[in-house]
Amino acid sequence: MARFHPLKVTDVRRETRDAVVVTLAPGDEDRALFDFTQGQYLTFRRIFGGEELRRSYSICSGRDDGVLRVGIKRVEGGAFSTWANEALAPGDVLEAMPPTGRFHAPVDPGAARHYLAFAAGSGITPVLSIIRTVLVREPKSRFTLVYANRQISSIMFREELEDLKNQHLGRLSVIHILKHEAQEIDLFTGRIDAAKVEALLSGWIDASTVDTAFICGPEPMMLDIAASLRAHGLSDAQIRFELFATGQPGHTRPRPAASVPVAPGTGILATVTLDGTTRSVAMSGKGQTILEAALAAEMDAPYSCRAGVCSTCRCKVLQGEAEMRVNHALEDYEVRAGYVLSCQAVPLGDRVVVTYDE
Amino acid sequence: MTAAMNVEEYLARGGVLTAPENAPARYRAMLMQMMATFVDSELAASAGFADAINLAPGIKERIAASRITLEKADHAGRVLAVMETFGTDALRYQSQHDWAARVARDTDLGSSRLAGDMRLSVFHYPIAGWVDAVVMNVLQGIATGVQMTELTRVSYGPLADVFRDIAPREARHAELGLEGLERIVATGAGRDAAQAALAYWRPRVAATFGLAGSTRFAALRALGLRHCPNEDLLARWETLAADRLAAIGL
Repeated sequence: MARFHPLKVTDVRRETRDAVVVTLAPGDEDRALFDFTQGQYLTFRRIFGGEELRRSYSICSGRDDGVLRVGIKRVEGGAFSTWANEALAPGDVLEAMPPTGRFHAPVDPGAARHYLAFAAGSGITPVLSIIRTVLVREPKSRFTLVYANRQISSIMFREELEDLKNQHLGRLSVIHILKHEAQEIDLFTGRIDAAKVEALLSGWIDASTVDTAFICGPEPMMLDIAASLRAHGLSDAQIRFELFATGQPGHTRPRPAASVPVAPGTGILATVTLDGTTRSVAMSGKGQTILEAALAAEMDAPYSCRAGVCSTCRCKVLQGEAEMRVNHALEDYEVRAGYVLSCQAVPLGDRVVVTYDE
Repeated sequence: MTAAMNVEEYLARGGVLTAPENAPARYRAMLMQMMATFVDSELAASAGFADAINLAPGIKERIAASRITLEKADHAGRVLAVMETFGTDALRYQSQHDWAARVARDTDLGSSRLAGDMRLSVFHYPIAGWVDAVVMNVLQGIATGVQMTELTRVSYGPLADVFRDIAPREARHAELGLEGLERIVATGAGRDAAQAALAYWRPRVAATFGLAGSTRFAALRALGLRHCPNEDLLARWETLAADRLAAIGL
């Protein structure tokens, strides 16, 4: 299981009004662990108000830059990103898991490829890492970036991209799409939707020359772009996605107050929610697990190994208590958040309320 | 940017997820089951083929059986590595079951699984001799080829990548089987043995495609984990198997 390691903050640079670029240094003994591949991300953890929050941020440096750097854009109401933007300072120590993620294509020094990337807002961070790496490691390849932002002042890495263009003449072209600012060419104003991608691929970018396309941004944009790219002949294997982290809740949601109908003398009762349907299931009480009880009641509860190893059967205890016989798959923070392996979980009292839907 | 969209809608419209953190609970569970089924099936297949190495009549066949044994285990390892990113204890997982365990030859499991592990039912049946091993590998290999057209499109990007890497090697396993079968049917006795093995394995491989009109399929399709219904995949396998076998006179 991946573990957390300390990373020392050596620099915090304000990139835009609501984004910082943080440079991090692992300890000597962890250096190899943090040897990243372009496009990967780091998962950080920190306690906020007594509760552990985990957030993932993409690495924005290239493999040959000799530094580990992430971009953190402030999310409305986001505890971690707000803290990083307002309070994080050089000398602080952050805890992070080693780099992970597969948002990249293998580098081939002899290849002469054309890469196309679409990034929206802070979706630029992993794309920048890929651009920086590819421009150095594949000297014959070129890169086209379509980069969407609200306005000029919110563009992350604007100057850095200009510098890269000058440094690698003719190999990097950047098309800025600005939502709120008129540009000389109408096509470059507004938001990236199906019509705009279609126009770009018809008049500005020859899709037939593209070897690999990278897309990082919010869901609807990724769908529109992927559909257009497929329509222009790219295969699924040529299109690389990285979903924005917007789907992650800012805080652990409060437990909903589910009401358990308690009929006296009914023995042990488990209330199980699966696919939006809630059922009360009588339990034998002889060490029967929540999973066994759900399956005996013919609910299609998920499981695989039934040995506390794989975590397929994970569910969340909303009320009552359950104890796991063994747990080789859930981390402490998941257990604290109420998750149990239902193949190992036995209720401790007469009533337990669990859900497989959260 | 653009308006927010919930993950379920994104998936239903063909979106791809790339990290465990983005997977909703039910998606996670169904994806894990899918991966466990593949891992367990490959490990059971590898274990079954390990025995076939010593049944092989010649060096060429021995190498083919060894390669299949090796690569199926390797493929299991690659998918298990994706499960590991969701929290699975990979070391414990691979020693969890006796992958070589088999039921009696005349048992009829239908498409149901046994309680022990998640392997497809066909991998619970024992192999009886070299011809039987080759025929099983041909039929199941063609079935895997059909299943790969689904698996390489699965909405979890890192897993689809693994399947795209695996698919050509799995296809090669089926080819090795067909080459072996062609040598077997060159004699009358070989042809008879192959016909008997086909009669045994055909319904058992067919059962791995699952039931027609499956409600589970609808749930999986809504999450981009499946695309083509069981009955269509089965029909494609039947046609393909018939064509490939007819080409060598079976």
